[in-house]
Amino acid sequence: MRTALVAFGLLLSTPARCWSQNVSYERLLHSQSEPQSWLTYGGSYFSQQYSLLKQINRQNVASLKIAWMYQPSRPVANLECSPIVVDGFMYITEPPSTVTALDVRSGLKIWSYTPALPEHVVSIGLYATSRGVAILDDMVYVGTADAHLIALDVKTGAVRWNVHVADNVMGYAMTGPPLALNDKIVVGIAGSEAAVRGFLDAYDAKSGKRLWRLWTTPRVGDPGAESWGNGAAQSAGATTWNNGSYDADLNLIYWGTGNPAPDFNDDDRPGDNLYTCSLLAVEADTGKLKWYFQFSPHEDHDWDSDEPPVLFNAAIDGRMRRLVGFANRNGFYYVLDRVTGKFITGVPFVKETWAQGLDANGRPIPAPNQEPTLGAGTLVYPSITGGVDWTSPSYSPQTGLFYVSAHETGAYFIKGTGKIEPGPPKGIVGGGGIRALVGEQSYGAIRALEATTGKLKWQFKLLASAWVPVLSTAGGLVFSGSDEGNFFALDAETGKPLWDIQMGHSARSNPISYEVDGKQYIFVTAGNTYIAFALP
Amino acid sequence: MGPNIQGIPFRLGVDRVTNVIQSGMPGGMPAFAGQLDAVQIQQVVGYLLTLTRKDEGKVTGDAAAGKRVYDSSRCADCHTISGQGGDSGPELTTVGQSRGPGYLRNTILYPGTDLPQAKVFLESGGQLEFLFVRVTTKDGRTVDGTRVAEDSFHIVLEDGQGKFHSFRKDQLRQLEKAPGQSTMPSMKGKLSDTQVNDLVAYLASLKGNP
Repeated sequence: MRTALVAFGLLLSTPARCWSQNVSYERLLHSQSEPQSWLTYGGSYFSQQYSLLKQINRQNVASLKIAWMYQPSRPVANLECSPIVVDGFMYITEPPSTVTALDVRSGLKIWSYTPALPEHVVSIGLYATSRGVAILDDMVYVGTADAHLIALDVKTGAVRWNVHVADNVMGYAMTGPPLALNDKIVVGIAGSEAAVRGFLDAYDAKSGKRLWRLWTTPRVGDPGAESWGNGAAQSAGATTWNNGSYDADLNLIYWGTGNPAPDFNDDDRPGDNLYTCSLLAVEADTGKLKWYFQFSPHEDHDWDSDEPPVLFNAAIDGRMRRLVGFANRNGFYYVLDRVTGKFITGVPFVKETWAQGLDANGRPIPAPNQEPTLGAGTLVYPSITGGVDWTSPSYSPQTGLFYVSAHETGAYFIKGTGKIEPGPPKGIVGGGGIRALVGEQSYGAIRALEATTGKLKWQFKLLASAWVPVLSTAGGLVFSGSDEGNFFALDAETGKPLWDIQMGHSARSNPISYEVDGKQYIFVTAGNTYIAFALP
Repeated sequence: MGPNIQGIPFRLGVDRVTNVIQSGMPGGMPAFAGQLDAVQIQQVVGYLLTLTRKDEGKVTGDAAAGKRVYDSSRCADCHTISGQGGDSGPELTTVGQSRGPGYLRNTILYPGTDLPQAKVFLESGGQLEFLFVRVTTKDGRTVDGTRVAEDSFHIVLEDGQGKFHSFRKDQLRQLEKAPGQSTMPSMKGKLSDTQVNDLVAYLASLKGNP
């Protein structure tokens, strides 16, 4: 009895933290002032995947242990969700479109919301997953597999509003997390392999009313229509299926776009095919296109440009500049001026054979005979998975390095038949396919590039191409994973491995970091599990 | 229940096979759209492309005599046929289904020049090659073997005696991978032309139980 009383006394003496869930725009804007939280998909509006926390550091990371785990009530695969952590809650998504709130101390479930999806959700060329939610004031926002945007009460998960963004029957789906701004929720859309026409939308955060839509391919008469040589009446692709970034001073949203359709057969779409495979700078208030930069004009290898753009400020030739860094699926790392969109530099960060280089404006100089061909196909580097696909890179202001999970592999690109037909899609409008290189010819690496030049500082080689995003921290660490199931920490300055664990399945989500009760956590998913790590 | 899909991308074309995987076949194979993404479907097609026989060749030997060559050459020390034999080399119970006589002859005479895929699978759908590995530990011990499993931090080998060895890579002085090499000895000069032809005939006849 005495033991029980002592234990009860201890419980009473532990302060029970309580929070009121309300995340203002000001908090999102100044996320660096509360590093204990993780408020947006990429950790801040700059999508740097960087944590200012440093309790876990080079000296002690070798002691990192699993603190808690959470598993969905039914088995799922490819957990690509990056959580939002704030005010004692962690908000995650479970494929395809469930939102769950967890107690961030223990991992216990607080509430869960599953939308009613159609019996047959159309998912063409994509996995019906969700990369997470956005939070603003007292609501969390999720895009669903059937292309709805839903606002939920942060405390209960009750639906506050639900709007139909696009027609899932036509192949539209939502897999990327929304971006919450001052009074609006910005969302992208997926479905390029179903030959949908891409767009970027903004909705009123309180009511769900659509404020603007920016179509990402033109129609006849629109600016850019001339880049679709056979007419823009059927222009398709340029979907916006991941997350974007935001510069509040410029009031510009930065968002990448996907491939044109059909992917590999370009017979019916001569020209540059604007605004596919591009970075768009969009005025947040109006949805107007301020500038664009097309990484891969007339693309035919399925090299989307949907990785979140990384915003950072650094000196170029002695002058501080507002920059955006982009490790593109086409194998080049780019640095652009984010005020003007002007090209500053671009260098390959993996083996590439399709371009002889970039000209003074950053436009690729095509190498001969690198197009998909009939029959056995053409061997091209990088593969369809690109130098990197959608997985977030990281930028550390502490080291000035840009960390990317790189794929070193090629593929035979095979041209087939593929035409855009009217009506609901019957399957992938790919117009071909690939045959990937396998075995020792392919490998992966975490590469650290000088952010302003793209010059390789170090690399940590992986057995195979990895699909694991990267997190860097003020503790001097870089966290990422391998395709074989390793999750590890590297020295951010040298790339030296300092800690690793075999999780039994590859990670697929952004690693993030947060702090509660004075303890720093590293969080990632693997297989069917969400895992929080901490020091003992 | 389903058709033999060996070589099917070459018969129907990559696009059609992709669409069949995507959309299924009426009354038969289900649609995999939604379960597999575009990359995964293309990886399946890539795998199907590897199933095509590398050659048709011609069987000129006597399969029954080849069985005797197989036994006397102690192939079963490393290979299994219908549950009998060792497991350090590839299973041969149905090797006649997937490999043509030309490939079999080449492997008997020049092992390692065209190795099959190994049992090491990657989650993104890839598969590592059968690989001969030599490790040297920091205390100077050397182990030769075939790779059984590997990640970016560990490797597991099976040596010629069927023993398994597990290592952390950062505990090794050297890790030598030898693509194109094999633990299998060449039969060139050890078997006569007739014996090689007979052994090829025997292996080509191995197509599993009907």
